[in-house]
Amino acid sequence: MSDMAVRVVRRMSAERSLVRLAVLTLAVLIVFSLVSSTYFTVINFQSMGFQVAEVGLLSLAVMLAMFTGGIDLSIISVANVAAIVTAQLLKSTNAATAEPAQALAMTVGFILAGVLAGTACGVLNGLLITRLRITPILATLGTLQLLNGLAIIWTGGEAVYGMPTVFLNIGIASIGQIPVPVIVLFAAAVGTAVFVNRTGIGLRLRLIGANPTAARYSGLDNDRVLMITYVASAFLSSLAGIIIAARSASANADYGVSYLLLAIVIVVLGGVNPMGGYGTVTGVVLAAFVLQMVSSGFNTVGFSSFTYQIAQGAILIGVLGLNALARRYYSEGRPTLLKRRSRTEPATPQPPGREA
Amino acid sequence: MSRLSSTLRRPPLARLRGGNNEGVLVLLIAMLSVAVGLVTPSFWSLGTVLNVSTNSLTNLVFAMGVLIVIISGGIDVSFAAIGIFAGYAVIVLANKTGFGAPAAWVGFGIAAVIGLGLGMLNAAAIAGLRLPTLIVTLGTQGIIRGALLFYIGSKVIPNYPPGLDQLSTNYLVTAQGAAAQGAGVTRLSVLIIPAILICVLVSLLLRYTVVGRGIYAIGGDAESARRTGFPVVGIQVIIYALAGVLAGIAGMMHVTQVRLANPYELVGDELDVIAAVVLGGASIFGGKGSVAGTVLGVVLIALIKSSLILLGVPSSWQRAAVGLLLLIGVTAQALSAGGPRRRVDLLAESAP
Amino acid sequence: MGSPEPLLVASGISKHFGGVAALADVSLEVRGGEVHCVVGENGSGKSTLIKVISGVISPDAGAITVGDQSFTHLTPRQAISLGIEVIFQDFSVFPNLTVAENIAMATYIAEGRRTVVPQALRNIAAEALSEIGVRLDLEARAEDLSVADKQLTAICRALAQDARVIFMDEPTTALTWREVDALFHVVESLKERGVALVFVSHKIEEVLRISQRITVLRNGVVTVTGDVADFDRAAIVRAMTGRSIADSSPSPSVHEDVPPLLEVQGLCLKGYFKDISFSVRPGEILGVTGLLGSGRTEIAEALFGVTPPDQGGVSVEGKSVPLRSIRDAMAAGIGYVPGDRLTQGVFLDQSIARNIIAGSIQRLVGRLNLLRRSAADETVTSSAAELRIKMPSPEAPVSSLSGGNQQRVVLAKWLARNPHVLILNSPTVGVDVGSKHEILEMLRAKSREGMGIIVISDDVPELVAVCHRVLVVRQGRITDELVGDRLTEEVILKELAA
Repeated sequence: MSDMAVRVVRRMSAERSLVRLAVLTLAVLIVFSLVSSTYFTVINFQSMGFQVAEVGLLSLAVMLAMFTGGIDLSIISVANVAAIVTAQLLKSTNAATAEPAQALAMTVGFILAGVLAGTACGVLNGLLITRLRITPILATLGTLQLLNGLAIIWTGGEAVYGMPTVFLNIGIASIGQIPVPVIVLFAAAVGTAVFVNRTGIGLRLRLIGANPTAARYSGLDNDRVLMITYVASAFLSSLAGIIIAARSASANADYGVSYLLLAIVIVVLGGVNPMGGYGTVTGVVLAAFVLQMVSSGFNTVGFSSFTYQIAQGAILIGVLGLNALARRYYSEGRPTLLKRRSRTEPATPQPPGREA
Repeated sequence: MSRLSSTLRRPPLARLRGGNNEGVLVLLIAMLSVAVGLVTPSFWSLGTVLNVSTNSLTNLVFAMGVLIVIISGGIDVSFAAIGIFAGYAVIVLANKTGFGAPAAWVGFGIAAVIGLGLGMLNAAAIAGLRLPTLIVTLGTQGIIRGALLFYIGSKVIPNYPPGLDQLSTNYLVTAQGAAAQGAGVTRLSVLIIPAILICVLVSLLLRYTVVGRGIYAIGGDAESARRTGFPVVGIQVIIYALAGVLAGIAGMMHVTQVRLANPYELVGDELDVIAAVVLGGASIFGGKGSVAGTVLGVVLIALIKSSLILLGVPSSWQRAAVGLLLLIGVTAQALSAGGPRRRVDLLAESAP
Repeated sequence: MGSPEPLLVASGISKHFGGVAALADVSLEVRGGEVHCVVGENGSGKSTLIKVISGVISPDAGAITVGDQSFTHLTPRQAISLGIEVIFQDFSVFPNLTVAENIAMATYIAEGRRTVVPQALRNIAAEALSEIGVRLDLEARAEDLSVADKQLTAICRALAQDARVIFMDEPTTALTWREVDALFHVVESLKERGVALVFVSHKIEEVLRISQRITVLRNGVVTVTGDVADFDRAAIVRAMTGRSIADSSPSPSVHEDVPPLLEVQGLCLKGYFKDISFSVRPGEILGVTGLLGSGRTEIAEALFGVTPPDQGGVSVEGKSVPLRSIRDAMAAGIGYVPGDRLTQGVFLDQSIARNIIAGSIQRLVGRLNLLRRSAADETVTSSAAELRIKMPSPEAPVSSLSGGNQQRVVLAKWLARNPHVLILNSPTVGVDVGSKHEILEMLRAKSREGMGIIVISDDVPELVAVCHRVLVVRQGRITDELVGDRLTEEVILKELAA
């Protein structure tokens, strides 16, 4: 079989979920467009575009951590840290009342500061995980709480206002017909895709997730790559935070709490393999759009946002369940589904050579 | 010929420390109390004890459910949603149908049943479909919360059904003074009785039933547990059903104590409970944990919060304090254990 | 004295994994009241055999007969109900349950009990303990026990379930000699009760000491079986490591006067090896042999930076190198093909291409850490060609390859780095004969190009065929160096058996 053909075939089958997603996207689009006349409009798509970037970026962050077989639960807190740092700087320097040129400079500078602050939180995660050897779920659970707490202390639990128009434009302006947040999301997605698929570090990241022991024995420097992973995750989360702040014209320590579930739903829907090493950026971005379309659809039809939350949970469990059933079906060769396995033979064929 | 084994008795110091580092926790609590007491002598009073007890009731019951799940090697983040769903639903129901005084306990019964039903959602996905616990409970949390806000109601209900009202003001013990907010009477709610009762029951379950020992076995090695003959799937159903029941009861307790029903509460405070369980010595990898340790963990966190208030620290510091405490506790555990023994495949399939 | 009637007979057991025969027509006869040892080195098929008999794996062919019942395959539950119990090396005790619970729980549950009455558990446990005359603290938590006591707990657990045949996988690995004595006393008690014991072991002294009968496996085939009284150490060793298909003749020796490529001085690691000193010249293939547990793997891993030694120094090309980490070793030009291919060597689900470039990532990145696609492809193609890897495409996952081809992939990964010194640990275990020849030929070719190669192996013909010199390691020390006329199979076997 020609190399190219195999590559394509493998991509297709490994990204069976990508095809499924594309079909799903189309289905959602068609259903809602039929149901409501205002759905398939530029305005609606633009609106979706403004909303999807935040959670899309957060999903990319979670995806990176999951690629290494871990998880980052602190993404929301990190996003808020970045947002608050930027907002506080803008507020305390009265950037809102400054000259346009100056406001622009301050905005850019303070955004950098905010992103830097958020990214530094990723360093904290990385240290906890690589130096102190705390398992990622506990480490990021702790930083989630700690950073949230610190943010509450700093802001006194209040929202921070007072941003200049330049900053707010990020959340409402479009270039051409495309909302700025979408552009940011795409740029980040492309960057992440290149990082994961085309760089040496990205490759090491995948391999570490696939088999940490073999990675170690191949000299892949697991600790350094994990650190970079969690820093990258924090970076993406920080970008999300900036966009959230721009769109809501304020920064708050408790924003976006419901995004954690949504981000994980998106990542799982996007085909990321829970055991580490798989999944695609394209899948995750596509999944983010699908869910945004569902949310917008619900809105258009008049469903409440609570229904959307129910839908998220249902989609998550549904997708996982279907994946699990499919895996079991294919590995056992016949539908055993819910029946308990009577043999302890593992689902993957016992590899040869594993003798003692 | 009789041969003596080499480990007949554990060294006394190890015994004092306790199987799950309970001794360390007791020491920490003692040290904390002394330290705070030195700064604010009013700390050393019955009032503080009652305050802490009253404040930790709900978390205690939640923690029992979380403990069971964690020992079995899983993680549950849906308990708060189940709790508030149950509590709110009962209030709504009570206001519609009207409860009398004896029916206060009926309210708890209904909450428990609701919790059971919701817990079965988790059970079906985890025990039935063998899906990863963290993700499943994250999903059910969303579903339950959304369902509550959408189907039952999203408004705060300030008027309290008379039957439950009486329960909330039913005090066991009252003591003079001691609150930092000036003079006053501190009370110990009668709800402490069911809370302690639940702790005892859970402890008995874990120690003296096959199901309970099976929970530890599953947390240790699910495959070995199955080969030993433990009905693994059945036990997992019991775990998540029971966690649901406990969450329902805890939610009802909360709603009773706070004297209003706010559907936005409880969700978001899960970490306090999980932190308490983890600090109490339960291992996130499963197979380890005790009721005593968890109780101490809950007490420790409640104590820290009370201390902060007493010391005049703004309440906004509490969350950071708990987060820091969790990180320190977890670091200590990781260092003493010499690093994670196995990768927590929290996204991996649950036990076969 | 064992009863003549066998308790369990496995006959004609065959099992293949992807083209490699893990077991080929293996038969085992187990009699009550005696100890039967199954002996073999890495890759012999010992653990596969146990898994088949205990029902974890189904054989492709053969039958298992217990009493008058015959089965083509068993489930674990069936095996237990037939009285077959296996105690693996981790003992499978529940760390957080008490000793009494560990011993008695399975029986307890089988009786249909719901509540735990500690006294009832204690009774069951005490009975099992008394059967072998052992005392354990029944209330102690299993995780607090010593390894020996955990093992005793596991044995009692088997007894409590009326085990008739108890398999023990490498039972004395983690025991002190005193604990080994204690274990053997327990074994005597078990024999008196008519229980059959099957020890899987590689420790020949113990085999000679404790067993009545012995079956030796090599490469999935039974080489000898019979009464232990008919064997001596040398005979067993020969059966374990004896002849396979004849390889080509040994390589010519290496020039004497060239300065060494690798020099190892006084390497020590407490508990594993002591005073290890040797050198490897460019183009030399050095063999390191010793039975399992002799320290040979630990020496290799120390040279690769996995477990840095306490003392001693290493220099490559005359320059002293620190070996605190794997990165240090790789930076010094040392490569390592690990002994456990599946866990340490390959990324099973990743593509062959990715596996091959996994060791060369640093070299294959350009600006902005971007992978140079063409360079990567080139590496993959040339490696695959050089090692003659049989694959449908480089994008296919490594798991789709046979053991031999997988090993070629691991080799390709390391050769792509062009190391100064390449260490290989048991390189042809689980590898088909054809691949084995080619891999050895590849090693010869590389040595001719000047690479220094260290082969850790207990495959005696392989050592003779490919090495210029062989070091014999025993109990953590180098006991002999064989070269020239002394480098023959007979001498190696004698050294191993000594």
